[in-house]
Amino acid sequence: MRRIDRKDRRGNFSCVITKMEMKNKTEAGNNANGNENNLDYQKLGFKCGLEIHQQLDTKKLFCNCSTSQSSSTKPDKIVMRRLRVSAGETGKVDIAAEHEQKKRKYFLYHYYEDTCCLTDLDEEPPMPMNKNALETAVKMAMLLKMDIVDEVQTMRKIVIDGSNTTGFQRTSLIAINGKIETSQGDVSVQTLCLEEESAQVIERNEDFDVYNLSRLGIPLIEIATGSEIKNPEHAMECAEKIGMILRSAGGIKRGIGTIRQDVNLSITGAPRVEIKGFQELKSIPKVIKYEIGRQLSALSKNEKLLGEVRKAEPDFTTSFLRPMPGADRMYPETDISPVKLEALGEESLPELIEDKAKRYSSEYGMSNELALLAAKKGIDIDSYKANYLNVKPIFIAEYFLTMPKEIKKRNNIEIAPETYEQDVLGRLNSGEISKEAVMEILVELGKGNKIDYSKYKSVSGGDLEKEIIEIVKKNPDKTQGALMGMIMAKFRGKADGKIVSQLLSKHMKK
Amino acid sequence: MEKPGDKIKVITESEEFEGILMPQEREFLVIKLSNGYNIGIDRNKIKDIKLVSKREAKEQKAEEIKEKKGLPTISILHTGGTIASKVDYNTGGVVAKYTPEELILKFPELNEIANIRSRLVANMMSENMRFAHYNVIAREIEKEINNGTKGIIITHGTDTLHYTAAALSFMLENLPVPVILVGAQRSSDRGSTDAAVNIISAAVLISNTDFAGVGICMHESMDDKSCIIISGTKARKMHSSRRDAFRPVNSKAIARINFEKKKVEVISDYRSMKNAVSEKLIVKPFKDSVKIGFIKSHPSFYSQELLAYKGFDGLVIEGTGLGHMPINASDEFTSENQEIKNALKELIDSGTTIAMSTQTLYGRVQMNVYSVGRELLDIGVIGNYSDMTPETTFIKLSWVLSNYKKDDVPEIMSKNICGELTERTGEGTFLV
Repeated sequence: MRRIDRKDRRGNFSCVITKMEMKNKTEAGNNANGNENNLDYQKLGFKCGLEIHQQLDTKKLFCNCSTSQSSSTKPDKIVMRRLRVSAGETGKVDIAAEHEQKKRKYFLYHYYEDTCCLTDLDEEPPMPMNKNALETAVKMAMLLKMDIVDEVQTMRKIVIDGSNTTGFQRTSLIAINGKIETSQGDVSVQTLCLEEESAQVIERNEDFDVYNLSRLGIPLIEIATGSEIKNPEHAMECAEKIGMILRSAGGIKRGIGTIRQDVNLSITGAPRVEIKGFQELKSIPKVIKYEIGRQLSALSKNEKLLGEVRKAEPDFTTSFLRPMPGADRMYPETDISPVKLEALGEESLPELIEDKAKRYSSEYGMSNELALLAAKKGIDIDSYKANYLNVKPIFIAEYFLTMPKEIKKRNNIEIAPETYEQDVLGRLNSGEISKEAVMEILVELGKGNKIDYSKYKSVSGGDLEKEIIEIVKKNPDKTQGALMGMIMAKFRGKADGKIVSQLLSKHMKK
Repeated sequence: MEKPGDKIKVITESEEFEGILMPQEREFLVIKLSNGYNIGIDRNKIKDIKLVSKREAKEQKAEEIKEKKGLPTISILHTGGTIASKVDYNTGGVVAKYTPEELILKFPELNEIANIRSRLVANMMSENMRFAHYNVIAREIEKEINNGTKGIIITHGTDTLHYTAAALSFMLENLPVPVILVGAQRSSDRGSTDAAVNIISAAVLISNTDFAGVGICMHESMDDKSCIIISGTKARKMHSSRRDAFRPVNSKAIARINFEKKKVEVISDYRSMKNAVSEKLIVKPFKDSVKIGFIKSHPSFYSQELLAYKGFDGLVIEGTGLGHMPINASDEFTSENQEIKNALKELIDSGTTIAMSTQTLYGRVQMNVYSVGRELLDIGVIGNYSDMTPETTFIKLSWVLSNYKKDDVPEIMSKNICGELTERTGEGTFLV
């Protein structure tokens, strides 16, 4: 389990660095402050695990509030609160909790009528756990090949920095013992928890902090990997892989701040640090390298390093956020009844995005790139294919993914292809318009123009052949390429290039 | 056999879990894993349970508190409820053991306000209270006063806190000190508890004023900024969960306690110690055997509902509007109403005192305005002009029937004893 693992790791560390270790370090980290790429992570005793947080797109976890953004900019009410440290289950006060208590801050909570309720204000007991969120959590757990617990018990994790009005975060362990496959071997997924998102801090002051309650209570999946991650690049790969699996399960929120990655990290001789607040996935390796550089440099100067939570800065360095929370910080949430859980049938499990991409590419002949894009963006090629039997799946993918991009580039027009799906793909399917006309129609639609679809009627069969014979006759000296150009210009958007080319070959031979 | 708190290893068909056994006798065995999470394991899947180690007995040691000279003594009597709930995290059970040391450990600010004398006099959720408990609490208050105290804080479950406050208001004649009831809407084991602000504010009131009466001290609003002191006979729990659930009904609050500044701001006149010192406290207890019913008038009422109270000493009706009951038949659908009228007569004739109150909660009973009211008065229903809450009416009727001759009951019910009846209805007493 995750926490045991941390404790063990901490327990194993000795604060005195032996000569042998020092030697290893100098060898491994001789370029610590400059070119970090040459570090031997194994020799450094590199241990690294991830904690991924993903918001779900349902109602709030323990009330029926919407999880969308409030439509107003001014809070409907501001409530002032204080929090007190309560001794945890062992009777001990948590170190991190005490750190906050010492500050003796009070908190102002911004309450919005359309996204908050009394539950968010800690003025009404929670409702039962949101079923859709729980189902999504189970799906994710299964995709991560985890064991689902028989019965979910909701816990209160003590948090008194004000980010939860209650003084704790409600969290439930859903599954344990999973794994992900990576290019550098399997990495264990130790726990998957379903918890409530915290309130968002708006302002920090000397004696009080201000929070927005809209975000509080949004269902949040927390996934913790084991510490087997081998190096900084591997950490990014794992984060990407887990992200892909979460997106595959569906039902998640998208956009800035809806997924967050925390990195747990240690090297021999230094206590574990947790790094939060990565701006983007790509920054993970660099931040880890810089952090190790910082630790190595401190160790070489015999400076004492502390186990702490650090913040990833935009310049890839890290800064102190707070002391590392201890393990004594959970007790049962008695307001919520336990929920019996069962694994879902295999058939109800979604296909992984990467598997879907492979299938699109092999089944429908899409390029790997297009297939992956379609799978990632959730363009359900299978169902479009069933709806538009006469349109090729590859063209459907292009319609949704490639064409809008190209139109944006060429004409600087934003296109929402799903809006015109019936108009364009429907007509294409019934043969009312030609494939070649689709781009032009989209541009016109994007400009807001009314479309005379008869203009784009495909010319084919006898009519087209007659015209081609005529043109061939009139231009006996022209090459096939030149004739092709002339014909396509005349029938722009109406004739299928392939057919024109076939007809040309047929009639030029004569 | 493994006991709650023991560290065990649970072996199921497919997995092994190690953790601390939690005390839940259900379909699922609950253990606390070392990462802090509890999980439920289906008992049918368990193949074996092994004991890893016995429960470690951990006692939180509190420092002994030295008496501080110059500070008043405040007595805190605990009766249970949310404010006192303290979870034993090893067993999941609720323990309530309130030595002054433990209390100070929990609310260290109290130590700066007063020397605290603290003990447990009952341990219950307040919905379980009976009149006998009121007598126990009153006797304990008497003991504290005899031992010399600046004031008394009673911690109490919030569900029936206003009933107890009213009961103590009537029972404690010539009360020479403040008796402040305090509850919590969020339990003391969470960081956001309202218990601390409420209990400390009560101590601030006691140590800074000459108030001598029964009051309730709870949050004024959802903010942790201030508490209000409400007269023990004029308070009501008006919300099932909010911190500011207790509101004055048909009156203003007595005082506001600014928590940050630890200052008292008097809002309305109150009974002070000057009114009391010359006489000795007299406790007038409830009779355990007194039986009082409580019924609400409603559409499609049946006479049978009233007759269920036959043999009771008293019955409080929460009438509609100004204090009405459906006792008039006006068309073919309302013949039952004549039976209701007969049932009222039958109850009164058989010796049940019936007192009217209003389910509007705010405003006064006025049975002179409509003929139905006058008819109720004619039948012998008492309580005209009362502005007591239905709950205070219930407590007063019970107490009056416990302590006075039956013939005197109507007169005593209509007289103000401890602020429960006001002569004038001020404008600022509605929805405050």
